[in-house]
Amino acid sequence: MENRRKFIKKSGLLVIGAVAVAHSESLLAKESPEKWAMIIDLNRCTGCQSCVVACKNQSKSGQGQFNTKILSVESGDYPSARLVYTPVQCNQCDTPPCVEACPAGATFKLANGIVVTDWNKCQSKGDCVSACPYGARFQDPRHQNKADKCDFCLDRLQIGLEPACVELCPSKARIFGNMNNPQGEFATYLNKTKLTERKADLQTGPQVHYLPSRHDQEGII
Amino acid sequence: MKEEKHTQKNSVQDSTSRRFFLKGAVAATAGIAALGSKKSEADTNRDWKNPRSLQKGALSQLDEGIRVTHSVCLGCNARCGNRIVVKDGMLENISGNPYNPYNTHGNPVEYTTPVNTTLGISSPVCAKAIDAPNYAYNPYRLLKPLKRAGKRGEGKFEPIEWEQLIREVSQGGRLFAHLGEKREIEGLKALDSDEPIDPAAPELGPRRNGFVLMTGRLQTGRKAFIDRFVKTSMGSVNRIGHTDICGLGFRMGNYAFTDKKQVELKADPWGAEYILVFGANIYEALQPGINTYGAAVAKRSSEGKVKFAIVDPRAQNASTHAEDWVPVKPGQDGAFAMGMMRWIIENKAYNSEYLMAPSPEAASAKEYACYVNATHLVIDDPSHTNNGKFLRLADLVLGEDEKAGETFIVLSAKDGSPVAYDRVDAAILDRAAIVKDRFGNEIRVKTAFRLMKESVMEHSLDDYARFADVPRKTIEKIARNFSSYGRKAAVCQYHGAGNYVSGTYAAYAIAALNAMVGSVEGRGGYMTSGGGAAKWDRGIYDMKKFPGKRKGHGVKISREKATYEKSTEYKNKKDRTGSGYPSKRPWFKFTKGGLSVESLSGIDEKYPYQCKVLFTYFYNPVYSTPGGYRYQDTLQSTDKVPLHVSIDTGINESNLYADYIVPDVTYLEGHYGWLSPHAPALRFTGVRTPAIEPLTGKTKEGLPFCLETFLIDLAKTMELPGFGEKAIPGKDGKVYPLNRAEDFYLRGFANIAENAKVAEASSEEQKFVDQNYLVSRYKDILTKSEWGKTSYVLARGGFFKKYEDVFDGLEFKRGVKRVVLYNEDLAAATNTLSGQRFHGTLKYLPPMDSAGNIIEEKDKEYPYYVITHKMNVHTQSRTNVHRWAMEIFPENFVVINESDAKDLEVKSGDRVKLLSQSNKTGIIGTAQVSKLVRPGCVGVSFHYGHTQLGASRLHIAGGKKVFLGGDSVMDGDFMIPDAKLGAGINPNMVTRLDENLSNTPMVDLVGGIPDFSSTRVKIMKA
Repeated sequence: MENRRKFIKKSGLLVIGAVAVAHSESLLAKESPEKWAMIIDLNRCTGCQSCVVACKNQSKSGQGQFNTKILSVESGDYPSARLVYTPVQCNQCDTPPCVEACPAGATFKLANGIVVTDWNKCQSKGDCVSACPYGARFQDPRHQNKADKCDFCLDRLQIGLEPACVELCPSKARIFGNMNNPQGEFATYLNKTKLTERKADLQTGPQVHYLPSRHDQEGII
Repeated sequence: MKEEKHTQKNSVQDSTSRRFFLKGAVAATAGIAALGSKKSEADTNRDWKNPRSLQKGALSQLDEGIRVTHSVCLGCNARCGNRIVVKDGMLENISGNPYNPYNTHGNPVEYTTPVNTTLGISSPVCAKAIDAPNYAYNPYRLLKPLKRAGKRGEGKFEPIEWEQLIREVSQGGRLFAHLGEKREIEGLKALDSDEPIDPAAPELGPRRNGFVLMTGRLQTGRKAFIDRFVKTSMGSVNRIGHTDICGLGFRMGNYAFTDKKQVELKADPWGAEYILVFGANIYEALQPGINTYGAAVAKRSSEGKVKFAIVDPRAQNASTHAEDWVPVKPGQDGAFAMGMMRWIIENKAYNSEYLMAPSPEAASAKEYACYVNATHLVIDDPSHTNNGKFLRLADLVLGEDEKAGETFIVLSAKDGSPVAYDRVDAAILDRAAIVKDRFGNEIRVKTAFRLMKESVMEHSLDDYARFADVPRKTIEKIARNFSSYGRKAAVCQYHGAGNYVSGTYAAYAIAALNAMVGSVEGRGGYMTSGGGAAKWDRGIYDMKKFPGKRKGHGVKISREKATYEKSTEYKNKKDRTGSGYPSKRPWFKFTKGGLSVESLSGIDEKYPYQCKVLFTYFYNPVYSTPGGYRYQDTLQSTDKVPLHVSIDTGINESNLYADYIVPDVTYLEGHYGWLSPHAPALRFTGVRTPAIEPLTGKTKEGLPFCLETFLIDLAKTMELPGFGEKAIPGKDGKVYPLNRAEDFYLRGFANIAENAKVAEASSEEQKFVDQNYLVSRYKDILTKSEWGKTSYVLARGGFFKKYEDVFDGLEFKRGVKRVVLYNEDLAAATNTLSGQRFHGTLKYLPPMDSAGNIIEEKDKEYPYYVITHKMNVHTQSRTNVHRWAMEIFPENFVVINESDAKDLEVKSGDRVKLLSQSNKTGIIGTAQVSKLVRPGCVGVSFHYGHTQLGASRLHIAGGKKVFLGGDSVMDGDFMIPDAKLGAGINPNMVTRLDENLSNTPMVDLVGGIPDFSSTRVKIMKA
């Protein structure tokens, strides 16, 4: 809700109460005013699929192809079993294996941290798809099998909106913000919680961070 | 389908309206500034090709060249707001309405906030809401009226002209002579008669009651419109809802508990600290939906502010955050609750301060908004004429006091003497006593609490544990937890709790748990909603009165709220046999009503009279009723249903049997309405207006084919009162016309705006409405000032109060003031099959058929229970066309516990067949092995297993002009089915029927609750 809070403040509705928490500078590159990142709190995710359907409408990915989806596992033994949900998508890695794998230089990282694919250059070889350790990429058969994936809704960011999956998440499990200037709840999560990432051992530097469920650790897959 | 074909230019300018609005507005710039992006390098240096530029990603509310409408969703009945983005007349994007508490965790923006500053604010809706374009642009949608062109149910229809439809339905005649049907059909006009429907039984009412209009997904707005036509123009009592299949079980429990005042109570998701969930699917369905209730619980749970446990045979998606899952046996929620009750009583874990407060004043003095009648004395004396009634002042003294007949008596906590309930601060809770009446006669009495306790104590905790089939220590643990949070613990019970035979008493026991901890109508407790925030029916226009208004009378075909003992049938039987019992089918004096199942069974048996003309609106009972397959025979019979007209958007499993199908608009094009919340505490009137033009055909006058046009044209043809030129009285003394839907709804909106006391819209907001809202085309219906105020409300999608507005300290200001542990009206009602009185307090009863046989014992050779549920991406029966939902979940499953799967040697993906006593052919689905369903149960969701709504080939002459998809769905005169729309399995097809009642679906004999939990099946590999 970072942008909402700030937005309201700008609109003159909320005069006080902005608690900007400066984040440890050491983590951050300073070339760009923004470095976009997402925090997903599994204690909030209800598995409702709103983000997935929002993304389908927003990005118009092809049949059976998803820029984000929700992994679901059954954990524990009956009757102490429970479902554990993990929304997953492109992690906008700091050192993205897909960029390295692309022979045409079509996929690259913007200064704001978002990894994108240039469809003028993409040669549809699919090397990036197999290189991604998260299975976040796919080839779009409607467009000569060019490679696609989540781009944090770049088009929406540019008109001042959060990514569709963030706006449409009913329980506010997805929290979006700027690593270079963290604000509000995003900053609170960075400072107060112990976040983790998918396949942290690969050291890809994912910029989708997770707060694991306090009920269960099975979620981060 | 070629979507372009259906693009229609709007008179409001689609492409220019936004420009003015954003110019100089804070929103656009603020939003960008907030994110710090400012069209930086990613945009200005975009010398690369973004995939989205080719994939045509959706535009959003801050883009140029679009229209925005704040409205109310109808993806389900929860009533979240939506913010609909339209581009070139087509739905483009959907998010939530930031003014609506349902989209904002109960904390919306200030109502007076200018609209232009809110568009950049993130506001969610659920997946069902976002899938709306696939619903509106479903290629199998109907555009033209259809008439049956083959036998009932054969799947042959032909398009007809609107004028023919109106003529034939109103006048009747030999409408199907060309198909070889010689019968003369009575049209609606023939029922416009005050002659008795049955001269031998005049209490049943006039011939008008032969007109039955049954409603599926109906909401206020259209409900008012339909009621006007059916009840006050035609004068029939038979506008029948579907509350029963929606969820009558928990409603009956609350109905008994609140003494018939309210049915929607649940734990306050914003204030409770402990929520005990009984059969409420809080992360997948519920009203309010996952966007509101589940979202609030999840967020507060993540912050450590609330804990919850789930009592349900299925762990549900909410198991992800639950403290405990109690896999109770189906149909035994009441046993679990009674076990908790026993533990709470025996351990004195109840809130005696609350229970002992005998009146509203005494309760309020201790900050309880609602009191409970635990201390009130009940006459428990078979020799007394008022046995089973509350002891009242008039029973004890001569009636000088006018209110003596209403004044309850309690035993003073100070000296044990009988006193009027409103004269003491506290009364004795648990006592049997003898009091003397004015003549010195002794009367045996007990407190309501004592009667309840005696009933609770009829079974031991071990018994209850055995009935519920959970460990005794689980009951103890949950009871201890529930009673450890003071007044901040409450139950959230919904469909699963009590949606079965004997369910009234299960749900009553569950509701009563809240009284034990004193959380009823308190912040964080078990609460009703705050209701609507502004009245629609009066103010500037009187929307309910009109010249010639009729008032229906007689008995509904469902026999709901009717007293059997007053019927001719009862008198005749009593004269003949000495006993008036049994009735042919049950009557339901003590019910909330909305008994669609008993209506259809009544129609099937022509009981208590014959239905002559059946209208069904947005209703698919064959698919969505447990055991609805039984009604295929009913609807197929031209004897039982001489004329059947369906109003719907498509051809479903039920109107496949209709004589006529009237095409209707979706909620994106119509369904004007004013919607109030189900949520605890919240208070609002959401307003729905169209976002896109009607996609259906038009009459010669240019009105869209839809429900309203159909009823208006019928009424005008038949010269019924309440429609046409003299229909709506204004407070200015004039009578205004009702010739189109907007004549009605806009005046309702004007009343809402007037009653909300809003200002006229600012010039900028007026422009916003005039240029963005299709309804602005009709602004001349209202005066300029009325339209100005109405626009203020429309711009915000309704009129909304805040959660905080409804409390006075801990007390909820708008709730019920009294709940009961003993209900004398329930005690006075009769099972009309056995002639036995019902129990007036909590009672453990296992699920039984209408003859009193325990179903589990009857169906021993069928070892598994079938339990059902809704999924998060679907609503009940109409979302197989939600393409994105179907992409995520292409089919549903027969979910089997891993231990049962091992016994059956079934693994995930195997095809299995389920057979029941009533469906020995069985139904086939795909198995999914799970740890999240109780052993001995299989869980099957709704939504799938359709045979219609695009899933089957139909013969439709000239179909390419009938369906929205045109050529793309037609092969000559045949509609091309889409197999994906028929994927999966429909559990209602295997539901047990009641062989004691003409093999119709089973219902609870108190309230008429259909049974969703007692069906037992064999499982075979298919």
